[in-house]
Order: sequence, then structure tokens, then C-alpha cells
Amino acid sequence: MKSPTLVKFQPLIAALQAVPLTDNLPEELTGCYISDLLSDVLAHAEPGMIWLTIQTHRNVVSVAATKDVAVVLFTCGRTPHAEIIAEAEEEGIALLTTSLTTYEAAGKLWVAGLRGESGHE
Amino acid sequence: MRHAVATLSDVNTSDARRISVAQVLVYELRVRDAMSKPPITAAPTDTLRAVQNLMKARRISGVPISDGDNLLGLVSIEDIIRALDKGYIDDCVQQHMTRKVITLRDHFSLVRAVAEFDRHEFGRFPVLDGNDHLVGVLSRGDITGCLMQHLERRAEEALAHEAALRAERVANDTADRVVVRAHVRTGDYDSAGKLSQRMRQVLRERGVAPEIRRRAAVVAYEAETNIIIHSLGGEITATIDPDKVCIEAVDVGPGIENVEQAMQEGWSTAGRLPRELGFGAGMGLPNIKRCSDSLEIKSDSKHGTRLRSEIHLHKAGVST
Repeated sequence: MKSPTLVKFQPLIAALQAVPLTDNLPEELTGCYISDLLSDVLAHAEPGMIWLTIQTHRNVVSVAATKDVAVVLFTCGRTPHAEIIAEAEEEGIALLTTSLTTYEAAGKLWVAGLRGESGHE
Repeated sequence: MRHAVATLSDVNTSDARRISVAQVLVYELRVRDAMSKPPITAAPTDTLRAVQNLMKARRISGVPISDGDNLLGLVSIEDIIRALDKGYIDDCVQQHMTRKVITLRDHFSLVRAVAEFDRHEFGRFPVLDGNDHLVGVLSRGDITGCLMQHLERRAEEALAHEAALRAERVANDTADRVVVRAHVRTGDYDSAGKLSQRMRQVLRERGVAPEIRRRAAVVAYEAETNIIIHSLGGEITATIDPDKVCIEAVDVGPGIENVEQAMQEGWSTAGRLPRELGFGAGMGLPNIKRCSDSLEIKSDSKHGTRLRSEIHLHKAGVST
């Protein structure tokens, strides 16, 4: 794995039209992974990434924590329950939500220079 | 014994490490450690007949003749046979005993005693202390018995030492071992990852490299969700040792029909609900395999599935 190009997270929030659900936002992101299949994320997400998903149940937090994912962005306006947000805060994972679709959000991230170099060979 | 002595004289310098315990013992032990004491003696005024009876009763073949502590002579079984033959068995001992007796000193090493036995071919030697007092009798049998006894004691000491070391090791192991265990219920999607979370916590506290920690977490999480999605319930255990984590997932059934097939990426038997939640991607077992340093899966319809994965904590592995 080559070392990722870090991208500042703060400017991305406006571009993503995202609403932070937790206040533990990271300074930078290492990349992005998109999947709604949990095992797929376990296989391919990398530490410090932002993960885009429409899944909002608490396993999302477990999976993110397992892989040290920095941010989970729920797309299509989805929002998890309050207890899941609390759990994410405990685990040090930032949660945000956006009304953009996953595709639109991905486009914004790409334009901002974030790449997704991951475990895919 | 002669052979042992010859070897001993050769080993002093070059081959010291190959000396056996018995060889060391014959140097360390003294005549006084092996001799029979107090000596069975007769008085010079006793009859040879009395000595003959003493030999018979005590099953010995030679008797030192003494006056208190002073050695005066020795009567051997040959002397008795001669007395019987010539008809003076009722005579006093002092008329016929051997007066020129070869003795050992009580401070001699057993090696030296063995050499004396070889040189003189006597069955026994009276033993004198530094004041020329008769203090015991030494036979070859006494030497053998003494060596056996000391070897046995050394062996017991070695065993006790070994047992103590083992106990200490076990105590350390248990102290350094953390076992995290959780019951896993079918369909309990909300609880998935609880064990994995506790395990990650321990690994973080122990300063395990993040990359290795993540691999262990993936294995635990996937194994746990497998039980939730596919089984009738089970148990997952993470045993955390200083050098490795062992994750064991055991369920009560119904078993994996074809483990080889289940190991293939994309193959899944998950139902609608778990798939909607993002499970059942058919990547669980392949993920576990990729993250494990060793993996064992046993499954049949009678006993259910038993998965055992090990992750070594001291070497970098697959990037996750």
C-alpha cells in the first residue's frame, strides 16, 4: 500500500452538503470507500478513510471501528438512531449525513482531490 | 566401575561437559557417606565360631576385630572355612585373625575407594577416621547403594525443580492471558461486534500494532456475525496471549454444507433480512482467512461449526 495523499476534511463538509452528527471530526482523510456490504468494507476499507453508505444500523459503527475508519457519511438523507450516534462518539468515529446520493457525494470527494487507494490489488 | 574410573581420569579437561551425574557423584561422595556404620565387629576374645554365627546372622563375609575403637584385625569367610577345615573353629579370634589389614580412610573419595577394591580384590574394607578409630565398613554394595540413593535424590530434585518452573510458567501465562467470551444469539444483529470491541480494547492497551489489531478485529467480527446470521446460536471466545490471539467460534448447528464452497468469495446462504442490513456478501469466511495466520474450520450437520483462527501479535502480516 502506498502512503495515501491526505485531504483536509473541513472544506469537504460544505461541498458534501453534510450535517455532522458527532463533534469529533478529523482533520484529514486518507481516502474513501463505498459499499453497503459490511464484509466488503471489512475487506477493503483503510484506516482514516471516509466510508459512504446507506446502512444506518449499529453494525456500521462496529465495522468502522474494526477498520479504524475515520468518518461514516450516510447518504440519501439517512440518519441513524441517537444511541448509534452515541456509540460512534465513544468509538471515536465521526458520523455525518447528507441528502446527496452516494454517487453525487462520491463525485464531490473526487473533485476535491480525495482518492480511494485501498486494499484492492 | 573400572571403566568409569578410567573415563574419569580422561575427562578432567577436554570433555568436562559430558561427565555423567554418577561420575560427578563418585568424586563428590566420601567413603564416610557410603560406608555401613556402626561397623559390625567382634572382640579378639570371641571364638571363631561366634564370628561364623555373626556372619551368618548379618549376612556378611568379613568382620573387623576391634577393641573398642581400635582396629586389631579382620576375620574373613576364608578364615572361617580354614578353621572349620583344620578343626580350630572354637579357638579365640586373636589366635587366627589377619592382623595386617588394609583400610580406607573415611575422607577418601569413592573414586579412590573403587580403585582400592580393584587393586586388592577384597570384598570389604574397614574404615578408619583421622584418629585411627574404626568407624565403619565399606563394601562394593555400599558404594552402589549410596550412588543409587544420591542419583535418586538428584532426580527427585530435578523433577521438583522442573515442576516448579512449569508452575511458574503457567502462573505467568495465566496472568498474561485475557479471555473474552460472549454468547451469540441467532438474529441478534444489534449485538454484533460486542466481543470484537472488547478484544480491540485489550489489544490497544497492550500496544499491539494497529494493523494486527484490525486483522484480529475483522476475524472476531466476521466470526461473530456468521453465528448470528447462519447458526442456531453459539459462543465466541477470544484468548489473548502475549504472542497471539486465538479466536474460536463454536455454534450448535446446522453446520456448513460445503466448507470449500463457503470459502469462495461471493457465495452466501444469508436470508433477506441480513442481506438488507449489509450482511451476507459472501465475504465473511474469505475475510477471516485473509486476516488469520492460521485457520481451522470443522463443520458437520450433527455438531455444528467450530472455527479456530490464530493471529500472531509479533509479526507484520497481510495489509488490511
